[in-house]
Amino acid sequence: MALFFQILVVGLTTGAIYALIALGYTMVYGIIELINFAHGDIFMIGTFICISIFGLFGITNSSVAPTGFALVGILLVTLLVSMTLCAGLGILIEFVAYRPLRNAPRLAPLISAIGVSLILEDIGKLWKGVIIVPFPQIFPERTRIGRAMRAVAQDREAAALMGVNVNRIITITFFIGAALAGAAALIWGLKYGNTNFTLGFTLGLFAFTAAVLGGIGNLVGAMLGGVLIGVVEALATYIPDTTVPGVTFGLPHGGAAWHEAIIFVILILILVFRPSGLLGQQTPEKV
Amino acid sequence: MAIANTLVPARDTRALLIKWIVGLLVPIAVFTFVWSGEEIINQSLLTILGLGGVSDIAVLIEITLFIIVFYATVIALAGYLVAADSGQRGMIELWIDIAVFVLLPLFLVINQGLIIGLAVCAIIWVIYFFARRSVYRALHYTPPIPSLNLRVLDAEQRVDLRNRAIAGSFWFSVVLAVTWLVVDLIFYFIGQLPTALLIWVVIRTLLLPVAGYFLGRLAAVIALRRTVAPKNNGNGENSANGGARPTKRRRQLESLSATRFREEAQDLVPNDLPARSTGATRFYLILLVAFVVFYPVIDPFLFGFGTNGRLAGYGDAGYYVILALGLNIVVGFAGLLDLGYVAFFAIGAYTWGIIGSTQLTNVLNLAPVDAHLLSLLFWPMLLVAALVAALFGVLLGAPTLRLRGDYLAIVTLGFGEIVPIVFLELDAYTNGTNGIVGVRSPAFFGIDWSVITPVPYYYLILALIAFSIFTNIRLRDSRLGRAWIAIREDEIGAASSGINLVTTKLFAFGTGAFFSGIAGAYHTAKLGLVSPDSFSFGDSIIYLAMVVIGGIGSIPGVIVGALLVYTLNVFLPQQLAASATDPTSVFYGIQNTLVHYIPGFSFGNIRNLIFGTLLVVIMIFRPEGLIPSARRRRELRHTGEEGVEVGSLDVIPGAPGFEEGVHVE
Repeated sequence: MALFFQILVVGLTTGAIYALIALGYTMVYGIIELINFAHGDIFMIGTFICISIFGLFGITNSSVAPTGFALVGILLVTLLVSMTLCAGLGILIEFVAYRPLRNAPRLAPLISAIGVSLILEDIGKLWKGVIIVPFPQIFPERTRIGRAMRAVAQDREAAALMGVNVNRIITITFFIGAALAGAAALIWGLKYGNTNFTLGFTLGLFAFTAAVLGGIGNLVGAMLGGVLIGVVEALATYIPDTTVPGVTFGLPHGGAAWHEAIIFVILILILVFRPSGLLGQQTPEKV
Repeated sequence: MAIANTLVPARDTRALLIKWIVGLLVPIAVFTFVWSGEEIINQSLLTILGLGGVSDIAVLIEITLFIIVFYATVIALAGYLVAADSGQRGMIELWIDIAVFVLLPLFLVINQGLIIGLAVCAIIWVIYFFARRSVYRALHYTPPIPSLNLRVLDAEQRVDLRNRAIAGSFWFSVVLAVTWLVVDLIFYFIGQLPTALLIWVVIRTLLLPVAGYFLGRLAAVIALRRTVAPKNNGNGENSANGGARPTKRRRQLESLSATRFREEAQDLVPNDLPARSTGATRFYLILLVAFVVFYPVIDPFLFGFGTNGRLAGYGDAGYYVILALGLNIVVGFAGLLDLGYVAFFAIGAYTWGIIGSTQLTNVLNLAPVDAHLLSLLFWPMLLVAALVAALFGVLLGAPTLRLRGDYLAIVTLGFGEIVPIVFLELDAYTNGTNGIVGVRSPAFFGIDWSVITPVPYYYLILALIAFSIFTNIRLRDSRLGRAWIAIREDEIGAASSGINLVTTKLFAFGTGAFFSGIAGAYHTAKLGLVSPDSFSFGDSIIYLAMVVIGGIGSIPGVIVGALLVYTLNVFLPQQLAASATDPTSVFYGIQNTLVHYIPGFSFGNIRNLIFGTLLVVIMIFRPEGLIPSARRRRELRHTGEEGVEVGSLDVIPGAPGFEEGVHVE
């Protein structure tokens, strides 16, 4: 039982980070139906930003960690700055790479997003190099905008007719989504203690999977999907390794090596039975 | 006498003759004298005369064939262009275009090599397009509308057109022969031309005009086929068809919308931009095919040493083309977004990897198969690998049938992740992270392919590409292909029209996977190994980028897209990184300056940055792809705004009174 709770806690923590990133995916998708491949890389840049801000406060790997109010203050400032900068980056990307393609065929912004993702990856590489970068260890609605966002998601033209500034709403969506990635970046760094320029790609993939699993466009679904993936990932590490003599049940090299495959198999199974994700709405198509 | 009459150009033809002879002669002269045309001919002649030159008789035959095809096509092209030109566009405009799109690439490729040369060209072309557009705007110039110029030709005009074609080819070859004679004499007097070749110079000078006359007749046939003939006058060149063709053509034109009509008018003769008409495109295709087929023998003449390295590189670019064509079936034709296409590529690669090495016999504790026999097995296994991939395509496609749009994308993405993990972790069969090494290369009629020469692979990939293109075109126009396109456009509509969604979609997944299986088996055989690193999500993304950049659903588009993406992603970074180490290059300076500001900067390091930026830029400026299929272009670009509508003409083209209405003076 203790083991089970241990797995659950590990899974929930990882899952929460996935959920935070997945929220960004799902919000953007809900509004403009674009798989924002650059989102994971915004998160990666976020982790680098956090390291740099810690550096400004004089906190590095070798320095003594601050305590008490200083610690809380630094964390808060880092969180804010990271969120703001990531949000700015998100808006910039939207402005440069997606806005000109608002009325283009659907695959064009997707390729553009992939392009941005590649660019960010190389920026990360130039910034911190190809090494695994250690992260400083300092411890162990119903608003008007919300309604406008849902309106834009449902029918962009109708929303515009109702006086909603569609471009502004889309910008705000990118702002919030990217800011959440910035927050996730700080939490990730604090928990795992390192980062790397390819991090955005792998984590982005999981987060995107989480968003789809929950029903893309659905915020609660994204959080549920993230937690689910985190727990499955943690559980997978307990599948025994059949290459060890005497073990008959399990997978070769143990579950950890297969966790990605397991997550995707579960995803496919869920989608086969619920084609719009766990909490996604089945919208009948009208002719 | 009749011949003499056709060869003396009418007065209005003279301007056209000057326009096209100068336009074509300059690039041909550059190719012949500055680059390698002359060199290739002289080498083959020297061999024939027994004075050295190339040693291999097969090479001799190939370069001779290439030279004949090349010059014959260009001479016939001259005749076609003179005949097909309506004379609406001016000389200077054409010459500027030829300078920018033919001469400039020629010089840059000669100087900088193929890849960097074309890359620089692409940048200059973009600037040129913008400059031209703003100049047109500043001058309030609107290009003439092709439809205004469409004429229905009676018998007399058809004879006239034929004579123009003959005159075009004839005079072009005369001018070419004279120029060549003068240049050769100069070469002779500075002592660069062996005396023995003077006989050839004389023969050639006499032979070219005669060849020009007959090639001109050929060009006339091609040009006349694209004219609109009047009613009841179906004979002329088309007598075999009993006149059915012109009537049908007219009826088609009658029913077209303005935009479609403008598109169709581009194919017809006479034409404002004959160099861009479909007739001329045929000539370019012949040139391209001749160039590609004979490339291994002419490469040493064109680019000097290092042929083998270049050929190997182009062989790699080839399997990208097959992958793009295969993915185009799924994404382009059927409209099913597939983000895990790499899975099928991996399946094809591992199929030959496991069978074609000692891996399988080792695992099953069998005696190893004879190595030579194993090499021969490649040919049936190529098909088997494709079929295995197709089978998995159907199997993995099955769960996605209920899904739409991006849910489909994530499931295919999932398969794209699962398959490589399975190959990686089932190391008993696949050797895990180390991959399978020592895979046999194919054998063919006793030719041993394991010798380090990429030529057999070059021809193998050419044959595979030709097969893929052919099957793709046939599939697209088949009942199945039309069903795919119907599903892409409107799934519910297609289903209500009696298309079985399940089988049609599964066929799309299966056929798409089939081609990636071929590509996979080829890839493994060429490398001689298969490694799990070559099959990541990033690769799937790159394949998708090839299809979208080229223009989804367009076969020529995805071929160009594949070559472009391969160039941007592989060739260009290599070339840049190589140039950056060379102190005489511009890039050396750029790299050294930037390193001061960005530590760790190098051109090898920013490969993705360059590639990503270009992806974004291409998508912003060409969201429908570089060469969109006609159907999508009509959807996405509303060309109806500029120019006049057909309805505003006095008589609608093809309507009963049309022929009288636009009769030539």
